[in-house]
Amino acid sequence: MFDPQRIDDELWELPIGTVPGMRVPARVFADAELLAAIEQDRSLEQLANVATLPGVLDAALAMPDIHQGYGFPVGGVAATDAADGVISPGGVGYDINCGVRLLALPLTYDELLGDRRERLVHQLSRTVPVGTGGRGAQEGLRGANLDRVLALGPRALLEDLGIGSEDELSFTESGGCLEGADPAAVSARARERGASQIGTLGSGNHFLELQRISDVYDEAAAQAFGLRLGQLTVLIHSGSRGLGHQVCTDFVKRMDAQLAHYGIELPDRQLSCAPIESPEGRDYRAAMEAAANFAWANRAAIAHRVRQAIASEFGPGTAERTHQVYDVAHNVAKLERHEGRLVCVHRKGATRAFPPDHPEIPSEYAAAGQPVFIPGSMGTASYVLAGRAAAMTRSFGTTCHGAGRRLSRTAVRKAVDGGELRRRLEADGIVVRAPSARGLAEEAPEAYKDVDRVVEIVERAGLAARVVRLRPVGVVKG
Amino acid sequence: MYRWVDHTSEVELEIEAAGEREVFEEAVRALAELLGAVADATRATFVRRVAVHATDRPALLAAWLEELAFLAEADGFVATHVMELEMDADAVHATVGGVLGAPPPLVKAVTYHRLAFEPSGTEYFARVVLDV
Repeated sequence: MFDPQRIDDELWELPIGTVPGMRVPARVFADAELLAAIEQDRSLEQLANVATLPGVLDAALAMPDIHQGYGFPVGGVAATDAADGVISPGGVGYDINCGVRLLALPLTYDELLGDRRERLVHQLSRTVPVGTGGRGAQEGLRGANLDRVLALGPRALLEDLGIGSEDELSFTESGGCLEGADPAAVSARARERGASQIGTLGSGNHFLELQRISDVYDEAAAQAFGLRLGQLTVLIHSGSRGLGHQVCTDFVKRMDAQLAHYGIELPDRQLSCAPIESPEGRDYRAAMEAAANFAWANRAAIAHRVRQAIASEFGPGTAERTHQVYDVAHNVAKLERHEGRLVCVHRKGATRAFPPDHPEIPSEYAAAGQPVFIPGSMGTASYVLAGRAAAMTRSFGTTCHGAGRRLSRTAVRKAVDGGELRRRLEADGIVVRAPSARGLAEEAPEAYKDVDRVVEIVERAGLAARVVRLRPVGVVKG
Repeated sequence: MYRWVDHTSEVELEIEAAGEREVFEEAVRALAELLGAVADATRATFVRRVAVHATDRPALLAAWLEELAFLAEADGFVATHVMELEMDADAVHATVGGVLGAPPPLVKAVTYHRLAFEPSGTEYFARVVLDV
């Protein structure tokens, strides 16, 4: 149906007119092989639909890990004019501020002697509740004040419960707090769904991964991030749990009901949106930012539990010397200034990637650029990247967020047996803890695109550069 | 009649039914199956009132499923059949029977993506994509 035109070695374009109502072109960062994989689902159509949003600027963009989502594709980026553009809950996604946090241990893989690797992964699985029901739903952090978490994010846990540190806050995107958050904008139902879930991983593609640094590409940046060859790391992938899902649900419905009032016509109701400065737009931003703060607090609480697991295996000193490299969101909308314009950047399955010397990254990382974490599949590899200058001119300061799904959950379940996958991973030296064989199969490496190739494209495009590669040695699946 | 259609992201529910009321009834049966309950009125021992409001039929169907999914997640109640149902242009009021248990909280959200509820020949066709 679509015939993307090649712009350069890493960029393809669907021109205005590809679908009715496009205001700007749609552009995809990919090579020919990745583009062929992308064309297997409806993600290009969805990207072209995003280009119809009122106030969308320059182009609707897709990263090489793009795949079909709801309304917006996953891996999509849309910047709208802050003065007269719209904000769209679907452009953020249901799991508001789904993101990743990387912890670096003061240990190398070679120091995991005997059965300590398996014991550590086992302890992680005991300490961090997973899944959507049972422990995963009920064993959230006790004593957290939900209103303060919604308003302040992980700072509320630090001030009220002594969890985390000022260092951790400074090594978190936006300091772990979007200041426009208003707890009162979050519905009672969203609160009910999220109240008991702080410090829980969730399900689906959420995970904890114990990793070793297998390759170092940029020694100086690695040193700035406190990373070295052979070092152990823990990657935490989770989001705003049921609370974020409900915020999105509430505002998709509310904005959908007002589309005619604002004279907005859309090709897919999931793109429902409202002017940023309308009552609906302001209320959504207040609720979405509160949900984002909740997600940062959730990952902070999970990190606290990870440290407890490390302490139980290696002692409190090792846990204290485990440092947080950074924490990045990959489902969020933020007001940012790009090329002199104030814009609302929707990143859905896409990661902010600010370059060296950008004022919004920690001074310790000024020379290296903002850390970006790209989880691959549990059998392959993940990457630490650093933001680069071209991201500011080509992608509103954005890069990819993962490998990108290639097969549906149903398709991969038909192709992969969960038990066999577990044996295969363990034969490769990866300890696995998963609540169900079915859930494990759904996240099999076969379900994802080649993360090495995805990362190569964003590096060639100048959006981000490789710093280190991480090989999994243990996985706790949500 | 309902069927679950494979979807790259998650799951898609398609319903064909003789009338509008039957679309809502089929949605109950489909969700009960997804949550592992048997859509058998003789086994249903609990009753809940459900009221949802929205601007049109497709949005009403999404709201209907969202309410039922919330009852399952928050209360462990899985609706298995419709006992009474009244609807007007922007609301559905119903009494549903079902079972209490510990259903898996599979449905994270009911989306508006490709949402449909429309006449199709002499019947009605509806489609809802669920985030699970």
